[in-house]
Amino acid sequence: MSVASVPFSFGRLGLIAGNTFLEAVRQKLFLFLVLITLGLVLSVLFLLTFNFGSSELKFIADFGFGALTFFGSALTIATTAQLFFSEIENRTALTLLAKPIWRAEFVFGKFLGVFAVIGVFCALTIGTTIALLMVREGQILAAATDEFEARSLIAYGDLLVVGLLQWLKFGVLTAIVLLIASFSNTNLFTVVTGFFVLVICHLQYLARDQWSNVDNILLSGAVRALSFIFPNFQLFNLADEIGQGSGVSGEVALRVAGYGLVYIAVIGGLAVYSFRNREI
Amino acid sequence: MTQAVSAISIKGLTKDFSVTLRGVKLRAVDSLNLEVAEGQVYGLLGPNGSGKSTTIKIILGLLDATVGDVRVFGVPANKVEARRNVGYLPEAPYFYRYLSGRELVRFYARVCGVPAATLKSRVDEVIAWVGLSGAADRRVGTYSKGMLQRIGLAQALVHDPKLIVLDEPTAGVDPVGSAEMCDLILKLKQQGKTVLITSHLLAQIEDVCDRVAILDRGKLIVEGSVQELVGQRDRQALIVDPLPPAEIEALKGWLAQRGHSLNSVEQPRARLDQLFLSKVSRPGRPGDKSAGVGSNEVPISDKPKA
Repeated sequence: MSVASVPFSFGRLGLIAGNTFLEAVRQKLFLFLVLITLGLVLSVLFLLTFNFGSSELKFIADFGFGALTFFGSALTIATTAQLFFSEIENRTALTLLAKPIWRAEFVFGKFLGVFAVIGVFCALTIGTTIALLMVREGQILAAATDEFEARSLIAYGDLLVVGLLQWLKFGVLTAIVLLIASFSNTNLFTVVTGFFVLVICHLQYLARDQWSNVDNILLSGAVRALSFIFPNFQLFNLADEIGQGSGVSGEVALRVAGYGLVYIAVIGGLAVYSFRNREI
Repeated sequence: MTQAVSAISIKGLTKDFSVTLRGVKLRAVDSLNLEVAEGQVYGLLGPNGSGKSTTIKIILGLLDATVGDVRVFGVPANKVEARRNVGYLPEAPYFYRYLSGRELVRFYARVCGVPAATLKSRVDEVIAWVGLSGAADRRVGTYSKGMLQRIGLAQALVHDPKLIVLDEPTAGVDPVGSAEMCDLILKLKQQGKTVLITSHLLAQIEDVCDRVAILDRGKLIVEGSVQELVGQRDRQALIVDPLPPAEIEALKGWLAQRGHSLNSVEQPRARLDQLFLSKVSRPGRPGDKSAGVGSNEVPISDKPKA
């Protein structure tokens, strides 16, 4: 008997993403982390004397991006695992997947929903950091008009580029956590493994540097393979480039963005493949 | 001439689950064969662990069969296309608590591809049909169990499927809610829908089902029409006004003269659920658009906790 096929639908994907976003922003964890992060960013005003020798504005920027990296990683892992397992444990996935939808729509819908939530978090954190920098910059320029020829001391465009790359890095992390969740049985296992992978992705460049000197071809090859499997999160950290030389290179930023998007596509595809065979 | 396609066709279905890392398997369903004709209300019965829910999940494509062929209106059950004509109410349904009843039904309607032009009217229609119009804008998290079952039925029906699968639709629901669910199932039957239902409440199944299958440890034990299975063709009951003992004896003699026997004399009893339903109030009838409010609506002080 022939029946009309059900094509992959971006409309359904968007519906699932929207619902995931709504569920996430109504969670106390999200609100808590947003408030903590914004509080931390604002607290830099009281910590300016501990600037460890760097310029005051650089200190504020580093502080803001540090808060973004730390809390953003925690939020990404916790939110992705929570939103995925709430569907499984509350059995809402049963009702949803019994509808004429593809599992790929479910997985990518979850991804986009979490990615949007993290986007809001990044926008709030970077926005607050930039606002602080603008206020302080204005005060400094007003206090010493003779010392500075330039009207602006900060490359705000570079700040936004670095913020966008951080968001993309969290997107890669979201895809990784979804891949783990697609075969994991518990929320806890997913969160713990997610944090392990986060550490590996941040430190894998150290291992690669060390083992590149190893003569053993097999060992060297294995490390090289691992370096392809785990994305190098250090590549996304271009905050140090801000204010240095010509600032953040557009070409470098595009290459890093491409690197992140390829990882999201590949890891997301693996998550769909794994979830397709999962028994609900 | 085209051959009629069964709503559900199960041939040689076996489902094994790995229960240990060593690969030890548990057989949940064992060589099951079932045919559910279009337009029937079909009951799937069995004790806990008999394989009812596993069978339903395979029909819905949520699990893959280990062996066997399962088709829904002729389409293999593991294809997305097979679910186009299926509505599903899971056991003890949990829905997105932060959505209102209307938002929830609207969400599932959009997922199922209900056209935008008819979306609002279809959502309103199906909510009225289950008798929840008055509670449609309340958050699902504040609903009672009976209301959850009814909003669950609304989301299952919103895309007008031909087959509705109800997994324990009255689990945890009071007798009033159960009776209302039975009324809804009978209305679905009148509309020509095929309904597959599992329930532990056997009296309820008997009232609404055309055919039943009983599973035990994954195997089909009994299958047939309700009348065939529970009717006693070699017995008849006559209900009469109360007779004094002398007349009963006379009746026995009259029957004996004609070669018949009076096997028992009993006082007919109403079923307890019928007595209960006749005594308690049922403010709104589901399926009645004039009901306006959810039939489980209670005074504000008695509302279930969120």
